[in-house]
Amino acid sequence: MLEKSEIKELFQRYQEATSEAEKLRYREPLVTQYIGLVEFLARRFRNRGEPLEDLVQVGTIGLLKAIDRFDLEREVEFSTYVTPTVVGELKRHFRDKGWAMRVPRRLQELHLELRKIVGYLGQELGRSPTIAEIAEAASTSEEAVLEGLEIAQAYNFASLDAPIDTEDGGSTSFADQLGEEDGALANLEYRASLAPEMEKLPERERTILYLRFFKGMTQSEIADKLEISQMHVSRLLNRTLMKLREALEEE
Amino acid sequence: MDTVSVKIPASPAYLQVVRLIASGLASRLGFNIDEIEDLKIGVDEMCAYLTGAQGRSGSLEITFEVDGDSLRINGSGDFEAGQKVRTNLTEFSRMILDTVVDKATLEQNGGRPKFSLEKSKVS
Repeated sequence: MLEKSEIKELFQRYQEATSEAEKLRYREPLVTQYIGLVEFLARRFRNRGEPLEDLVQVGTIGLLKAIDRFDLEREVEFSTYVTPTVVGELKRHFRDKGWAMRVPRRLQELHLELRKIVGYLGQELGRSPTIAEIAEAASTSEEAVLEGLEIAQAYNFASLDAPIDTEDGGSTSFADQLGEEDGALANLEYRASLAPEMEKLPERERTILYLRFFKGMTQSEIADKLEISQMHVSRLLNRTLMKLREALEEE
Repeated sequence: MDTVSVKIPASPAYLQVVRLIASGLASRLGFNIDEIEDLKIGVDEMCAYLTGAQGRSGSLEITFEVDGDSLRINGSGDFEAGQKVRTNLTEFSRMILDTVVDKATLEQNGGRPKFSLEKSKVS
């Protein structure tokens, strides 16, 4: 770890540097110094369906921007300055790049809000909430909620095979979590007419399909079991079904 | 019984409109979010037979009937000649539909493919 005075000096040299090579030389130790902070901040955004390493990369862009823009004249520590820049970059990433198609910001924000409310209301009520209840909790109209739910399908969750982070900071996958059900999954493959297509599905998609259509669990129940949001279950399920329909068509 | 109907181009791109109407009406009946998502899956599943993955030249007419606690959705396709539409449900579709809605039928009727879905509020 660098001392405060060393950091200050690096910034000074970085800003006075005249060549790219020289700039890079001073920037390097600064990046190393703060990469831990970036990782810490990026981790706060995990479980949103994007691999942590991608988030760290996005956060690092924020760090580089912050290093570029940092003004030594200001009486503020770089560590104070860098946090909002990195968080801002991560938020922008989810707002702009997380969507498979362009969705107005108003709806994107509504979607994130709804995701929270649906989960929380479900817990509170002990059952799946109605649209009216969600609208009231979100202080919005029922139309807006319905629109928000519909638009949720446009949200792009990067990799369906991505490992999920556990509470204790470790990592697991759906296959690990649901090992006991794999035997029954084999059954599903033979019963359905889409056997080869089904086999091609990622573990998690197959699992959700299985829980919904063979175990008869509701989307909310599946969400609880897999510790993801109901809206995420809905999205994965819809995407899977769409894929399977397309496969059927190609036969 | 109240009726709402809509005519759309036979393209998957327009199914969003159908889902929105279905969810709007279901919400009026007090369906919860799980029931609404299920209904939308049912609508998608059926409409997918009519539009195909790439869409067809022609249109779909969808009628929504609100009857007490239940919602019935009838759809029919009006396509240009020569477009083959599958009207027997796959085993897999049958399974999906049996899970998400109360009743579902798909048939060829009077030269047009038609479907009917029905779902009632449980909770």
